[in-house]
Amino acid sequence: MTAQMLSLSLTVNGLEHVLNVESRRTLAEVLREDLQLTGTHLGCEHGVCGACTVIIDGAAARSCLVLGAQCDGSHVETVESLAADGELHPIQRAMIDHHGFQCAFCSPGFLMSIKALADDDPDMSKEQIREELSGNLCRCTGYASILAGAEAAFDVISKRNKLNSIEETKNA
Amino acid sequence: MREAIVGKLVGNSVKRTEDPRLLTGTGRFVDDVTVPNMAHAAFLRSPMPHAEITRIDTTAAKRSPGVIAIFTGAEIAEFTNPFVGLMPLPGMYDPTFYSLATDRVRHVGDPVALVIAESRRAAEDGAELVEVNYRELEPISTIGQALDSTRAPIWPKAKSNVMVSMNQPSGPAVGPIFADADRTFTQRFVQHRQSNQPMETRGIVVEIRSEGPAIVHAATQSSHALKWALAMMSGRLTVPGSIKEMFKHRDRPKLFVNGAKSLMAAKPEMKGAGKPMMPTMMKQMASDPKRALDLQRSMVALLAKGQDSRPEVVAQDIGGAFGAKGTVGREDVAVYAAAVHLQRSIKWIEDRNENLMVGGHARDENVELSMACDHDGTIRGMHVRLDMNIGAYPAFPFGGGMFSQIIRVMMPGPYRLPALQFDTRIVASNKGTYVAYRGPWAVETWVRERMLDIMARNLGISRADIRRRNMITAAELPTKMITGPALDVRMSAAVTFEKAMEVAEFDLWAARQAEARTNGKIVGMGFATFIEAAPGPPGFFDQVMPGAGSMAASEPAHVVLESDGTVSVYIQQMPHGQSHETTFAQVAADELGVPMEQIRVRYGDTRVTPFSLFGTGGSRAGAMTGGVVTFGSRELRGRILDIAADLLEASRDDLVVTNGNVHVAGTPARSVDFAAVAAQAKRSPQPAGAVAPKTSEAIRIQSEYDGGEGGWAQSTHVCWVEIDLETGVVKITRYVVAEDCGELINPAVVEGQVRGGVAQGIGAVLYEKITYNESGQFQTGTFMDYLIPTTMEIPEIEIHHIETPSTIEANYRGVGEGGMIAAPAALTNAIEDALAHLGVIITEQHLPPSRILELAGVITP
Repeated sequence: MTAQMLSLSLTVNGLEHVLNVESRRTLAEVLREDLQLTGTHLGCEHGVCGACTVIIDGAAARSCLVLGAQCDGSHVETVESLAADGELHPIQRAMIDHHGFQCAFCSPGFLMSIKALADDDPDMSKEQIREELSGNLCRCTGYASILAGAEAAFDVISKRNKLNSIEETKNA
Repeated sequence: MREAIVGKLVGNSVKRTEDPRLLTGTGRFVDDVTVPNMAHAAFLRSPMPHAEITRIDTTAAKRSPGVIAIFTGAEIAEFTNPFVGLMPLPGMYDPTFYSLATDRVRHVGDPVALVIAESRRAAEDGAELVEVNYRELEPISTIGQALDSTRAPIWPKAKSNVMVSMNQPSGPAVGPIFADADRTFTQRFVQHRQSNQPMETRGIVVEIRSEGPAIVHAATQSSHALKWALAMMSGRLTVPGSIKEMFKHRDRPKLFVNGAKSLMAAKPEMKGAGKPMMPTMMKQMASDPKRALDLQRSMVALLAKGQDSRPEVVAQDIGGAFGAKGTVGREDVAVYAAAVHLQRSIKWIEDRNENLMVGGHARDENVELSMACDHDGTIRGMHVRLDMNIGAYPAFPFGGGMFSQIIRVMMPGPYRLPALQFDTRIVASNKGTYVAYRGPWAVETWVRERMLDIMARNLGISRADIRRRNMITAAELPTKMITGPALDVRMSAAVTFEKAMEVAEFDLWAARQAEARTNGKIVGMGFATFIEAAPGPPGFFDQVMPGAGSMAASEPAHVVLESDGTVSVYIQQMPHGQSHETTFAQVAADELGVPMEQIRVRYGDTRVTPFSLFGTGGSRAGAMTGGVVTFGSRELRGRILDIAADLLEASRDDLVVTNGNVHVAGTPARSVDFAAVAAQAKRSPQPAGAVAPKTSEAIRIQSEYDGGEGGWAQSTHVCWVEIDLETGVVKITRYVVAEDCGELINPAVVEGQVRGGVAQGIGAVLYEKITYNESGQFQTGTFMDYLIPTTMEIPEIEIHHIETPSTIEANYRGVGEGGMIAAPAALTNAIEDALAHLGVIITEQHLPPSRILELAGVITP
């Protein structure tokens, strides 16, 4: 059975790629093996642990359950995009300040899930953040430190958005 | 308690050195490693619990596209040596076995063939085409089946599935004590099989290079243990016994002697390990001559090959382990041996299904506990019957055998125990290997703290008072446990207990519970106290198993002033979430008077890290590595001040170091920095007896630390639950930990360890179970079957730090495992308290909603 190859073009962290991939190759494998973006991690490969979470066209998704072929023409954001310009993202800064992680193998999935949630609704309640993040497993921390970092990140992002909107109304 | 001095790092929640790389996706875990011309591996695994391999045919599989080579058990046995247990428990049958199944398969997932191919997918496609015929044998799944002598042993030479049966008394005989005791209690407790399940599964990349030794990129808890194990088990050399052999390989005996000398030089007390274990090893060889040949071949492979034939192990970021990556895997040996044999680099990454099946199981223990006591609950004697199910293949280098002895030694916990009879039966079964999992001896705390509650209820005294009546208080210290280890004045279990009772307002609980019940609420409160040998008093491991002490006797570290003035600290620990790059930089920076950024903690690379087979485990890093880095850095500071004194033409005693600059106290203007000192050191002759620095180094300190007075970590956990008897769901409404682990290096790191341990304890009781059916078929293949707790299941955990004042330097003690040792006891005690009015007695540790409803009589089993 020779592998069926497909041509795939997708944008990852702002860079355009055109690839020739096997049809059965998952997006996680395309990112990690074809594009050497090893920041996205695989913890279970059956859609439970969330370590492989990336953002596809603005929505958080488990890249181990998505075939590369399904992402033709998509925009994918991975953890490597957060500090792309050398500046740590507020979510990364908050996690460092709150000692969020220990082994941090699960951190890429948490960081991208939090980014997708904060982009969507930065004024979410603590309880809602906790429930939304129940789709990401961590085996080291018992979650308290991650949730503290997430809440602080939401706070920073919410305030920044309010400042930006004030700026916009001033300049409008 | 050293007061927090401005600029002091130890004691502060310093931000982590590890985070900038780990949180930007630029960490380097083993699956992130790729090397040129790297092939991939996959294992064909047995679907049968217990069967003979009658036929295996790889011809079709070898033609599968992308397949490079396939090895069956028989083939790999030709160029590897078997696993031979080196830490034998006296009298315990210890099987030898190869990295792949050769004659029979002994559990679902047992590796039968190793396929090497151009990609993982091609290897898995190839594995599916390997034809294997099995002749099913009667499976051994439960402890009961293992004890049933009518069932054939899975290791024929063992003649039984009971690998060892031991009866060990401590103190006076318990018989008479039970005979004339006021009251005696007996319960059978069942602790179910669980699994570490770190988020990163196991994996290895063997990099074969054109010259020099192979580099093994690994996710391991001891890089040196993995290195020497791979050397021992790869490359089956003929034993230079015969005359013809002697001439053909004249160089080998010389290599053998040099190899032995270099191993002993690296670890002098290794000689100590041999003596006490020699009789046991001799008896094992006498009972199984093939073992003697295998052991000799392994030693020849280990020592009689040149330096280049031994691999170097490099580990960088590791995605958690909790003990599972402390064992050398059969897959590690198979993939390494295949790579060397094919002279081709190979990567193998375990998938989650494999990790659940064969990545390491733990806890599968039944304990029948009998207690003799007075009417007022004063304990007179304890009789423990432990049955431990270690699966088919014993863990290497240590596993269930050693842990059963730690359970015995720790049985008394922080209580006065005048007499103990400890009977152990370790059984083999057609299940996965029993490995260390975060406090692998934890069953001692669970059954003891459960039994104290059951006794209190029967004796009509409060659950707090029965503990107060038996718990060793400060006034009695120092003293000794009946099983041998010393309890020093810092053993503060009773202090943590009173703090917990005060925080929990235990005296008000009965009224609060009664009131809640009138409102139809089923609520309960439970608590548990334990001590942990982190690192334990001097000689602790020798009381566990004679000879084992030498492995854990001392902790090495190298503290180096580099030519550029920075400081490198080389440790033998293998951090995989413990933040060692941060905590030990804090310790070194404080001793040297430099900013943290000037310190680099390095681990994981056997080419540069100090030799030790122990690695990371047993919550020892805080105390042992904290100590050796403290005193090693202090020695380096002395050498730096000597040189600075010359440069500044000042007396050494007047010099201080602030922010990396050495100057006469009071005149910071005239100072020299570490780079200047380094340059001077390189120009000056080495002081007598000093270790020669490498070319890029200025001063090299190589120190060892024996743990000093060692000591105990201790804590009391309190848990409140509310149970919904419609759904059987147990909700944890509050959780408190009062703990004393000595001085905190980094409070945030300590609290992270405590919370992580409690979370795994909660998971073990309410959600997680590794399940085999009665005929040994594995039933926990995905995370939909093995439920890891999420953010919704773990409550907020209040932590109260206590520190018994002490003048002892480096007064750090370990806190990594305590969370998981106490949580199952506190939680099951709370659940029983909630259901006690229904006459419920909790004697099993796995309590999913359906079981809660059965116990409460809401549904019939």
